[in-house]
Amino acid sequence: MSHTVQFTDVCEFMARHLADVFDTMLAMKAVQVPNAELPQFGERVSGAAGFGGETVTGAVYLHLSETFAKQVAAAMLGLSPEEITGESEVNDVVGEAANMLTGGLKSWLCDAGTECALSTPAIIRGTSFAIEPMPHVQREWLVFDCGGNRFVVEVHLKFN
Amino acid sequence: MPTKILSVDDSRTIRLIVGKAFRPYDVQMFEGSNGEEGLAAAAREKPDLIILDVTMPIMDGVTMLGKLKENPELKAIPVIMLTAESGRDNVLQIAKIGVRDYLVKPFKEDQLIEKAGRIVTLQKKPAV
Repeated sequence: MSHTVQFTDVCEFMARHLADVFDTMLAMKAVQVPNAELPQFGERVSGAAGFGGETVTGAVYLHLSETFAKQVAAAMLGLSPEEITGESEVNDVVGEAANMLTGGLKSWLCDAGTECALSTPAIIRGTSFAIEPMPHVQREWLVFDCGGNRFVVEVHLKFN
Repeated sequence: MPTKILSVDDSRTIRLIVGKAFRPYDVQMFEGSNGEEGLAAAAREKPDLIILDVTMPIMDGVTMLGKLKENPELKAIPVIMLTAESGRDNVLQIAKIGVRDYLVKPFKEDQLIEKAGRIVTLQKKPAV
């Protein structure tokens, strides 16, 4: 089956969906910053979830600084950042946010005739790591601002 | 007797949010982190309502839903699917197996309460 979905459409959808997830689950306003430089994180928390089907494979990564990840975790759980004491709470929230982002994209792709299934989310933590896509995978980084905190959604997509 | 609600989701975050949403009501919450745990909790507690995720490790929500419907003792328990996946085909597939309602993540707590309140009695706890 030939696909009619364009990568630019996917990125536009992700920008809208990210804002919706932040607004609905965190009561936080996140806006895309077009053409922004990628932020330099110290300690980074990245949530990832993949999707795959006969005609499309891909993944969505949500990259947050550790400090902002803690704020996000607190907002989603209805706590203050000081009440978030362990990495596991932050990991679970960032993983769930990645799951919501990727699930929305998966549903959007399915409705556009590009059937695929969703993976369970994973977390990567560290100060210095790089994610390299496989050959022929299209990749885009979308930079967002939320109350002065810059963060990144990285989209990988390959049409088979 | 409090209303018994079982939340089955691999994300502790979602189970916490669901529990928090029902805190003002006379509700007894139970949890499972995958379909196997959810089925065991359903058999043990006979909840009035199950709030069920789709994508989970070990046993996913669609498989758990199918097994619930095969079990004469559990098949009448109403289920609300709470999932990040909202594709038309996905919804239709799950609707065929039999769910009472469907809520897509991201969601607001009051949306969950509204949907649950249409299925079970949610009585506010008296102010202390």
